[in-house]
Amino acid sequence: MTHPSQSTLALYAGKDLGWFAAKRAERHVARCRECRQAVEAFAALHDDLVGFVEVPALSWSRLAAEMKANIRLGLAAGECVRGGLSGAPLGWISGMRAAVACAGMVVLVAAGLLLERSTPPAPPVAAMGMDESMVLRATASGIELNQGGQSMSLLHVRAAQRPGGQPDVTYSAGAQGSMRARYVDLDTGNVTINNVYVQ
Amino acid sequence: MCNKLAILFVAGVAALCAQDMPLDPYNSVKINLPADSPLTLISANLGESHASARGSAVVLDLNMALTLRNSSQSRVRGVTLLVAAQEVTPGGKASVTVPSLDVAPGQNFPVRIDLRLLRPGQVGGGPLVQVNLDGVLFQDLSFYGPNRLDSRRSMTAWEMEAQRDRKYFKAILATRGPEGLKQAMLESIARQSERPSLDVQVSRGGRAVTSAAVPEHRAQFAFLRFPDAPVEPVDGWAEIAGNEARNPRIDVRNRSSEQVLHVEIGWIVTDRQGTQYMAASLPNAEPKLYLPPGSSGRVVQDTSLRFSKNRGEPVPIAGMTGFVSQVEFADGKIWIPNREALAGAQLLGILAPSPEEERLTDLYRKKGPKALVDELSKF
Repeated sequence: MTHPSQSTLALYAGKDLGWFAAKRAERHVARCRECRQAVEAFAALHDDLVGFVEVPALSWSRLAAEMKANIRLGLAAGECVRGGLSGAPLGWISGMRAAVACAGMVVLVAAGLLLERSTPPAPPVAAMGMDESMVLRATASGIELNQGGQSMSLLHVRAAQRPGGQPDVTYSAGAQGSMRARYVDLDTGNVTINNVYVQ
Repeated sequence: MCNKLAILFVAGVAALCAQDMPLDPYNSVKINLPADSPLTLISANLGESHASARGSAVVLDLNMALTLRNSSQSRVRGVTLLVAAQEVTPGGKASVTVPSLDVAPGQNFPVRIDLRLLRPGQVGGGPLVQVNLDGVLFQDLSFYGPNRLDSRRSMTAWEMEAQRDRKYFKAILATRGPEGLKQAMLESIARQSERPSLDVQVSRGGRAVTSAAVPEHRAQFAFLRFPDAPVEPVDGWAEIAGNEARNPRIDVRNRSSEQVLHVEIGWIVTDRQGTQYMAASLPNAEPKLYLPPGSSGRVVQDTSLRFSKNRGEPVPIAGMTGFVSQVEFADGKIWIPNREALAGAQLLGILAPSPEEERLTDLYRKKGPKALVDELSKF
């Protein structure tokens, strides 16, 4: 099965695809669990980002609206000028207009880049795209990552036993979403550290 | 009669469902070592690996015994292998690290990976598990590998702890002799067996559903400060609801003269009886913190941690304490607390021993004081 590209899935999640492309993506996503999860992750990310569009210090929406208005104003002014000069054989003015337009575009792009650099740092992607259905826990035999009924466990079957019969394992949790089990391998005498991470 | 037949039928179906299936090692596991890797894969034995059907699901038990060779010119101190089963748990990954090694050039050493996968349906065609090399740490603390799991920092910190603890035990041997070393080993073994342990369940993001009815409040961290720590905790809090803590935030200040890339905070919780437990480590969320000298930053994680003991008995949180447990500088150097600071703050009985201290006490238990003295004299 050929999967749509990540950019197509991201556009589909944001409802930014054209009608035909959206229908094609919709058909694929209905059949493909992997792409469906990707779309859900993109949609969650999109929802999270909505909250960051309006930062108190700088209204990006207002800025965008103002920039659009300025562009419209510039275009309208251009139309007025063109109307006044219609029929005039002024090739050099046409070239100048193109130069001014190019310069305007350069200023616009530079301003955009400058403003983008001052954007407040976004929360880490892992935290934004997190799947709350993923649970990490220590079990009697290892560390288990459970995700939607499927699971992966790193086992410590070669750990020594404590007097009570429990495996001699030291667990530690990482608040970033990881869990660690440490034990001395019965056969080799080497310390082994199993770590399972939620991405 | 009908009942007996029905029971026999059900038992037969159950037996069929639970039967083991052999696993094709070549299709189940793929081990990838880079072409210029300082380690060579000598053998990969999946001898006891098998798959068994459980109803509509399949359980795969992969017991891998890898033999690797140190093909480099330096002694290997630690290895981390990245284990991924993207088809089963696309949102997770795992690693197996063997620290505290001392593998000479040309020498072979074993690494064991025991993995269980539970997935619905039948076993697919492609490799279910990919094992990749994430990093190798050498004696001079140089590192090889893609370092996707930040294993360079972890293994360097463990190696520094190993050096610290070997130095401590060698000093005891030098000043108090074998009897003093024996006494120190017995104290360490007692600390390890008496250390209160906590079961922690970690989930990313918001509050766990099970405790949604418990009132939540913001609780402040108390801090232990080490005199020589390059970073000091300033303020911190987490949302607490019963036995669950979420969204910890800790403000820190870099009081060193170097740029700091990573800070890890040790997180101790206290229950209503006053017992203290090492709950978790709290690293900064971003891969790197970039904290210039004198500046402040925030260590933050959007996770929920639920604490219990004795197989599920909730441990309500009555207090929280934090301390700086690890700092990484821009030049790759790592700071860890020294033993005197840990002992002074009475943390030795709460924290797990270093991997090296655990290895040395295990060696003492199994082979006696002479083997331990011989081992210490190698370094």
